[in-house]
Amino acid sequence: MRRLRSLVLALATILLAFVAVGCTSSRAQSDSKTIVFWNPFTGPDGTSMQKLVNEYNATKPEYPVKNISLTEGDMYAKIPTIVNSGRGIPDLQIVHVERIKDYVHNGILDTYDQYLSNYPNIKSSNYVQEAWNGGSYEGHRYGIPLDIHTFVMYYNKDLVAKYCPEALDDNIVTFDEIKAAGEKAKKDGITALGLTWWKPNYLSMLGQQGGELTKNGVDPTLNTEPAKNTLNFYKSLYAAGITSRDGQDPMQLFLTGKEIFHPEGIWMVNQIRESKIKFGLTNAPQVSADPKKMVNWSSSHQFVLLKQAKRNTAKTKATLKFINWVRTHSIHWAEAGQNPASQAITKNKAYQKMGQSFLLKSKTEQESLRIFDYRYNGYVADFLDRYALDPVFGKTSIEKYLKDMQSTVQDKIDAQITD
Amino acid sequence: MDSTTTHVAAGAKAQTRRKSSKPYLYLLPHLVIFTIFFLVPLVFGIYVSFTKWDLVRTPRFVGLQNYQTILFSNSTFHTQLVEGLRNTLWFVLISVPFCILVPLLLAVALNAKPKFGKFFQGLFYLPSLFSISAVVIVWTLIFNPNYGPLNSLFHLNQVWTGTQPWAWMTIVIVTIWWTIGGNMIIYQAALNGIPKDYYEAADIDGASSWEKFLHITLPSIRGQFLYTLVTTTIAQFNIYGQPLMMTNGGPNGSTSVLMMYIQQNAFGAGQSLAGLASAMAVVLGVCILIVSMIQFYFLRRDY
Repeated sequence: MRRLRSLVLALATILLAFVAVGCTSSRAQSDSKTIVFWNPFTGPDGTSMQKLVNEYNATKPEYPVKNISLTEGDMYAKIPTIVNSGRGIPDLQIVHVERIKDYVHNGILDTYDQYLSNYPNIKSSNYVQEAWNGGSYEGHRYGIPLDIHTFVMYYNKDLVAKYCPEALDDNIVTFDEIKAAGEKAKKDGITALGLTWWKPNYLSMLGQQGGELTKNGVDPTLNTEPAKNTLNFYKSLYAAGITSRDGQDPMQLFLTGKEIFHPEGIWMVNQIRESKIKFGLTNAPQVSADPKKMVNWSSSHQFVLLKQAKRNTAKTKATLKFINWVRTHSIHWAEAGQNPASQAITKNKAYQKMGQSFLLKSKTEQESLRIFDYRYNGYVADFLDRYALDPVFGKTSIEKYLKDMQSTVQDKIDAQITD
Repeated sequence: MDSTTTHVAAGAKAQTRRKSSKPYLYLLPHLVIFTIFFLVPLVFGIYVSFTKWDLVRTPRFVGLQNYQTILFSNSTFHTQLVEGLRNTLWFVLISVPFCILVPLLLAVALNAKPKFGKFFQGLFYLPSLFSISAVVIVWTLIFNPNYGPLNSLFHLNQVWTGTQPWAWMTIVIVTIWWTIGGNMIIYQAALNGIPKDYYEAADIDGASSWEKFLHITLPSIRGQFLYTLVTTTIAQFNIYGQPLMMTNGGPNGSTSVLMMYIQQNAFGAGQSLAGLASAMAVVLGVCILIVSMIQFYFLRRDY
């Protein structure tokens, strides 16, 4: 009997503990004087964000910030669930800009509109245009950009000097220049171009071919002439034998000095720096040498407010105070290899010496940054990430690939729960 | 009946009741966890399959529409279900026999008490303790076409995970290696329980080792065999991590298993299509149920 009683007691304790945990987590975030800040920065960039938050908290604000970094997949899976449950919602959240429109339609976001008048410096002219524009939708502001991160191209300085010393004269490397270098380098077993993460490569080329994901903002236009040209272009590059091969790891080739050009995100700079390679950064590969026609695929991390039934006004204002502070202190963010979206950073001497700073240096460069923002972008991204380079490697036909992409995205849109 | 008898009878009844409620009390911890983490999600998941839901708003009831879409329409989701199920079934068909046979043979070998038997037992069991991510990372390095030991050892130039049938082969090999331990331990326990007299009697009758295996070992472990067959089949139907990380469903979608489509529809980068994904999951569940029942039917006879 005694054993039975202790068993019941133990069970009751466990249950109570569960209930207690539930209560504290739901109460803590709405009333406490801590701004709970969720972000997907779990790599080296997480350290930079923590530094930034520590520095802000050292200024002794009334509402200090609590930095919580989650792995990206987990974070995006959690967001709808916590907003739905109404519990444990963070006060400030970082999401990729391409998520915003979809989130607005799902009722996941609150706007900044009523708070912005208190922070006149959070305005268009203080941010990189493309990133700032991505944060607004249907006349309301839902996102304030932290950065604009671009898919650029790394190059091996020694190999460039050997095979194509003139390619970087104008800081635009064209595919023709890459091909010419590839033909020379082939006999030495050197790859001219790495076939890296397909989505930004594909979209960047699609943009250069004049293609768009949508014409009217709603219906996908994925099976088009520019899309066909994009795939044919890459297919012929692959056939010419100057790119990395199917199954090869282009990053490995680059880090071991066997690849001249390596398109990759600016955020990867720390990993590449660890190798002994002498490298530089330049624009993503272009079809045309005309700077006005340049396209550099970009995305942006944006500060957003997840919907809260009872929003605490004082705390929200304090949240904007933090965002405004980050605007003028984002040098730590640049140290992680990122490009802060704040124009203030461009005047920072330390920043100007950083490899990625060329992207914000001139108006032409800033205008080349292109965010492929589309309400249903997520479905396009899912397709491109899953089927990737299959048509380039000849595993499927270009026609079938584009037809499938169009119908998959369209069918998913049609299957959505409507407003 | 006098009052004393009634009292005694009532007391005995109460005692039986108390006695009979005791097992349930011991079951309670498991029952609570089972209900919270299995039963509730199961029922809710079946309910969601009859709705449209984005994980945020209230699910909207649409009746059998999701099932109509995935089973009978000519939409993407129908193609996903057919291709996903076909790829999953294909994987189950080629992997389950190995996942049963290899551990069985190893268990029989270990049962002969060879030298360093315990060491090998530990060695074979070890992979089961790793997470699938760690397992896949190790094997991806082995199969790496450029600097993997496999290609360099045999002077090959094969893209193992990028072409068929090699893509399936790599997935199956990794799965076998990863899952040997669990079934092997069960078979070992079963083999230990077979009385030695059977074998001695067979020896006197002059039976060969093969005959002993066929007529003594196998029938004696029939129960465990059925159990592992069913659980292994269920586990392989739910395959997800291996193709996701090794082949990303390629080449050209040929290793995209149903769980990958379910996951992408429910938790992809765009708005969640949780209703359709749940309907696909229910269909997968029904398939598993049918296959398990068939296996039971064939193996339970005269057992």
